[in-house]
Amino acid sequence: MRLIIGATILAALGTIAIAQGVDPAMLLRPPVDSWPTYHGDYSGKRHSRLTQITPSNVNRLAEAWIFQTGQNPQIKATPILTDGILYITTPDNLWAVDARTGRQLWHYTSPMNDAFHIGHRGAAVYKDFVYLTTPDAHLIALDAKEGTVRWNVVVADSKKGYWSTNAPLVIRNHVIVGVSGDFDNLPGQLKSIDAETGKTQWTFYSTPPVGVPEPQSGGATGGQMWMTGTYDPELNLIYVGTGNPTPVLNGSVRTGDNPWTCSIVALQADTGKLVWGFQASPHDTHDWDAAEVPVLVDGMFNGAQRKMLMQASRNGYFFVLDRTNGKNLLTAPFAAVNWAKGIDKEGRPIPDPDKEPARDGRLVAPGESGATNYRSPSFDAATGFFIVSAQDSYGIYFFKPEHGAYGWAGADYGIAGRSFLRALDYQTGKIKWSHELGEGQSTAGVLTTDSGIAFTGDVSGNAIAVQTSDGATLWHAAIGRMGNSPITYQLDGRQFVLFGGGSSLYAFALP
Amino acid sequence: MYRSLCVFVPLCLCVYGLVVAAQQSPAAQRPPQTVTPQSYRPELVLTGQTRFASECGFCHGRDAAGGETGPDLTRSTLVAEDSRGDKIRQVVRTGRVDKGMPSFDMEDADLEAIVAFIHDQKTKAESLGGGRRSVDVSDLESGNVDAGRRYFNGAGGCSNCHSASGDLADIGSRFRGLPLLERMLYPRSIRPETAPPKVTVTTSSGETITGSLVSRDEFTITVEDSARSMRTWAALDVKFTIHDGMNAHFEQLGKYTDEDMHNVYAYLQTLRQ
Repeated sequence: MRLIIGATILAALGTIAIAQGVDPAMLLRPPVDSWPTYHGDYSGKRHSRLTQITPSNVNRLAEAWIFQTGQNPQIKATPILTDGILYITTPDNLWAVDARTGRQLWHYTSPMNDAFHIGHRGAAVYKDFVYLTTPDAHLIALDAKEGTVRWNVVVADSKKGYWSTNAPLVIRNHVIVGVSGDFDNLPGQLKSIDAETGKTQWTFYSTPPVGVPEPQSGGATGGQMWMTGTYDPELNLIYVGTGNPTPVLNGSVRTGDNPWTCSIVALQADTGKLVWGFQASPHDTHDWDAAEVPVLVDGMFNGAQRKMLMQASRNGYFFVLDRTNGKNLLTAPFAAVNWAKGIDKEGRPIPDPDKEPARDGRLVAPGESGATNYRSPSFDAATGFFIVSAQDSYGIYFFKPEHGAYGWAGADYGIAGRSFLRALDYQTGKIKWSHELGEGQSTAGVLTTDSGIAFTGDVSGNAIAVQTSDGATLWHAAIGRMGNSPITYQLDGRQFVLFGGGSSLYAFALP
Repeated sequence: MYRSLCVFVPLCLCVYGLVVAAQQSPAAQRPPQTVTPQSYRPELVLTGQTRFASECGFCHGRDAAGGETGPDLTRSTLVAEDSRGDKIRQVVRTGRVDKGMPSFDMEDADLEAIVAFIHDQKTKAESLGGGRRSVDVSDLESGNVDAGRRYFNGAGGCSNCHSASGDLADIGSRFRGLPLLERMLYPRSIRPETAPPKVTVTTSSGETITGSLVSRDEFTITVEDSARSMRTWAALDVKFTIHDGMNAHFEQLGKYTDEDMHNVYAYLQTLRQ
């Protein structure tokens, strides 16, 4: 067991009532005064039904409050909101903040550790528990009122090279936790942990665990599930994107498609059993995780009502699947791509062997940082637009035998990128509008609302609001570079929109 | 894996290193040698290893030999020229934010230990030669000089802006190996920085200002004028033209075949004075 550093109550809880917290029924239809999961709800649409802030009044948005962590790391997490309290994280840190005022209620710091402190996606809540993953791949359950530790369990062995940045997904009493780790040849694993006791309920391996022969993977390891998945309660299926295979750039030692790396997998929520998988990048050699949000949409496709899953994948392709069975409905590029020879009968891009990393270098689009990345897209049902922060980018990829077959096993260099907010028509994959975000990579996600606004951030550190229907700019505020995806909620009749800028959290509302 | 810290260009601690290394014989392929030999207590190196892994390892590799996005520090000239942190400290404290490296607000003791670890790793790398994630000059010899010249003067359109006897007359001396390739593909991707684009701004009152671009986003434009004063306008309030050579380079990235790329590189390699 690790030493526990208790939380500090820096301010009295005052009049803020803490109700019963999040329960399974509430998670099925979160009220507008909450944002109880990473995506806001199970669908991953990052869309709110709030309408107080409209295209005609958004230009009057003003800062309601700013919460400063007082620390160096950029906020890359989505805040979680329940019972008027926001939970915001950076590696090793979780702050409880009054959602009305931005005042800190308590701050928990996990014990120092030597694992990667690269980023953190956010907390999770269930009843009166708050959950935090740590860089050394622990899951810590805190008391939501006081920030004291209830239990602390190891999810994966950080000494082997695992770490965690994951915002867990809570489904009934399952806390679904993913880990990272592709500097070492490690099997990809996702765990379900009992929300109350911390006991492991099941583990899903995207590549075979050590000692388990499974020829289908072709010898690949990796396929880490470091992003928060989505969930269909009717089908009782969890959808998660898996990361790249390892060794990363050396594909010669892992033949075949290397399932289930760079894939979307559907897992039975109570057992973790694989129901189906779809590979976005068969035999990836470019670090293109398919970890991006699998967005769940019910609607028409080619004249038939469908339960769909949509993903704008890091490899530059937008996929629409039938989420009941994983069958592909649409594959279309949404950014510059030059690595595929075509699309196979299953809807998967066919990798061009000539674009695999080579001794003299290969110029590849997208570059390693991808056509998009962990930043969330948003789906707006009124327009049928899937809105994604995209990047046209190029990189050069090298591999020679001297690079070996462990971990990265190659070298790659980003060359250039230009970012755009793009609206995709999900039925055709066509780009309906493209809003320039600047040179380089935007790291901001997207939020849409029922009033027809899409919020995001640009490369230069502006939070921006555009009209969902045509991408026209409505509002902006220079808050510093955004590393997270915005959220919105309404408290006491007032709608707030939150952005992380640098290491501060900015709340905007109408005056 | 994700690339959380970074913008779109490689972090650049190593760029100077590669420029210098490139001036050596290609056969040598050795990292730049430490200018001021220095040694550190093993306990300090061990502490530094832990702190380095936690704060720097994702981008620069746990062994400092290059990670997800950051360069191999054991082949960095800045590290080679550093003496007990006199150069490394500043880069860590201020970052290279424009290139994707954040600043780190780190305790002196931690920084001292990290410096010790980097130098210790560099010493080990020097004894090994080469680099685990290296790209050597000899790796980039697959192109055809004549075909590169033809592409430069023809289909590539390079000669619309550049001249083999003018601005690029000594490009093959100034850069070799990977830095030359990167410079060729997108000059802004590596240091030293390219000259900022020239801008012409016309204000609503009819005043015309020419100068160098300092920054530009959707909402504002900032220019250093001919008197070296910084001037900023709301983008909607003025008319402006930015002459940015990078636009043609960016478009070209979508047109090159790998063969074209290697051929033009081979040709540029021959441009020396």
